[in-house]
Amino acid sequence: MASKDKCSNDLGLTLGMLTLRIWLGFRAIQTGIEKFAGSKANSSVVDIDGVPNSYGLTKDGADKFYSFSEYHGVPVPLYDKFASEPLIPTWGLNLYDCILGPALIILGFTVLLGIAQRISLFAMGLLYTSLTFGLILIKQDAGIAWLGVHIIMVVMALALAKHNRFAVMKKW
Amino acid sequence: MNLKLPTLSRRDFLAKSTLGAGLVLGAPSILRAKEAGAPADEIRVGFIGCGKQHEVLFNAMVNIPGIKYVAAADIMKARVGRTASAIKSRFGYMPTRYLNVEEMLEKEELDAVFVATPDFWHAPHTIMALEAGCDVYCEKMMSNTIEGARSMVAAMDRTGKLCQIGHQRRSNPRYRYTLEQLIQKENLCGQIVNINGQWNRALSSSQDIVSKPSILPDAETLRKAGFNTGADHELSLEELRHRFLNWRFYTDLSGGPISDLGAHQIDIFNWYLGAQPKSLMASGGRSFFKDREHFDNVMCIFDYDTPQGNVRAFYQVLTTTSSGGGYYESFMGTEGTIDISEREAYTKIFKESGADNAKWDKLTQRGLLKKQAAGKAAGGADAIASYESAPPDEYALPGGLSKAPHQPHIENFLDTIRGNATLTCDARHALESEAPIYWVNQAAESKETIVFTEEHLHT
Repeated sequence: MASKDKCSNDLGLTLGMLTLRIWLGFRAIQTGIEKFAGSKANSSVVDIDGVPNSYGLTKDGADKFYSFSEYHGVPVPLYDKFASEPLIPTWGLNLYDCILGPALIILGFTVLLGIAQRISLFAMGLLYTSLTFGLILIKQDAGIAWLGVHIIMVVMALALAKHNRFAVMKKW
Repeated sequence: MNLKLPTLSRRDFLAKSTLGAGLVLGAPSILRAKEAGAPADEIRVGFIGCGKQHEVLFNAMVNIPGIKYVAAADIMKARVGRTASAIKSRFGYMPTRYLNVEEMLEKEELDAVFVATPDFWHAPHTIMALEAGCDVYCEKMMSNTIEGARSMVAAMDRTGKLCQIGHQRRSNPRYRYTLEQLIQKENLCGQIVNINGQWNRALSSSQDIVSKPSILPDAETLRKAGFNTGADHELSLEELRHRFLNWRFYTDLSGGPISDLGAHQIDIFNWYLGAQPKSLMASGGRSFFKDREHFDNVMCIFDYDTPQGNVRAFYQVLTTTSSGGGYYESFMGTEGTIDISEREAYTKIFKESGADNAKWDKLTQRGLLKKQAAGKAAGGADAIASYESAPPDEYALPGGLSKAPHQPHIENFLDTIRGNATLTCDARHALESEAPIYWVNQAAESKETIVFTEEHLHT
């Protein structure tokens, strides 16, 4: 009976760890990919009586696409705010802008696939902490709280690391 | 390019006139010619005035193909430079820069010019350009005086050139659709009994304009450009520069807020009703900006006789508050009300509770309207049933304008130059609509009702 309970607990913790890996991994990967997203506005002529109206009345839409040329690690409105912060040097901001997107994608994959799980999770925690630092400077309290939730999830994953299964590289 | 008629430019005329009129008129080489390699329908454009309104026009033009930006003129060097830089960065070539309009018109081969100078320069610049053989797009208000506006109509007639006035709503698909389809064809409003229009602008948007003194024109230039007009003493450089930047505050340089802001919307009253008002009452005050020559707040009521009956149109322009819903024109009828504005956000359509539901439903099914929300009673303990009318259902236009608001009007002007359209607001039609506006300040000053006669309103 005791052995059966232990097995159930292990399975629950293993699945809990897997769930956290999937969530944190996809969250980081997709956030990184979105930094390459752009949109092209389009408008289509509205139909009246089943045919396109002759006045040129339109409804607006936008086509989303992904491209390296659209990359912005730090979104432009936030970049402008950070640029005016004395505690953030311009070179540091530019470097961060360059690496943020790729870093999210890489860490997302390492966490998702279970590569050097503890180190990857710790690096992800540091990355979210660095984002938190920026948001503290520009007083984005809601964003800080949101990132705090991420940090809690990273810590939970680290605490469950010993129950990690289905990992490509268990070392570290 | 399919121009209406080949015309001689002023420069060609001056240069070739010694050859004799017969020879000049017969020589194809002196007819307006394009640069080698230029598209056949390219229109060569010049700018007169390179300030804020010019920027609005230019930004509305940049997506229109077939324009060659040839030259720009303004008495302020920094402004001409800014315009040239904007053209260079967008199109990769520099226009020729001028500090003198006459010189630009004399030296350049222009098909069309865009006049965006202070109101008191509209008539002289427009007439100058028309007589130089250019088609003209001139910003509204046509002039700071009705005589000036009439002289523009006369110059348009005399020269046979095109003169489009910048009442850009006349070319706006939303406005045209609303008038032609909803009001005229479908009689959506029923009998229009009242009109209400307004432009409320916050204090923060009504402050004096200031600029770095080092980039402003000197006193002699400003005097030569007439910015001392109407002054009762010798103006200092500082005073001249204030007038240059804030000409809208001075009675000899502009028509004030009722002209700057109200003209667009009162034009819509007249255009939609297809009528000129028969009388005018007005009240105005220097309620906050006590040192300004013009009223800072104006309210007026126009009375119309239309085939469907008498209509009263109230209009207010307030430069001390932005509350009250921004800027719109509201056509209030027995069946429905259309609040229309250049801003889609301020545009709403309301169905009276007694209106024919089947008719409105059918219009919605056909795509002529979009239903937004059923009317909601305000409710609450303070509601007294016998005082309340049933709330109207809310609708919207089926679509919007996906361009800058001025773009369709400029396109109409350019298409007309190419012979493919008719001006939606030529100088004569513009003056028919603007004429009553020239009397608002006077009615407010005198506190007397003006009953319009042919003398007041003729073009």
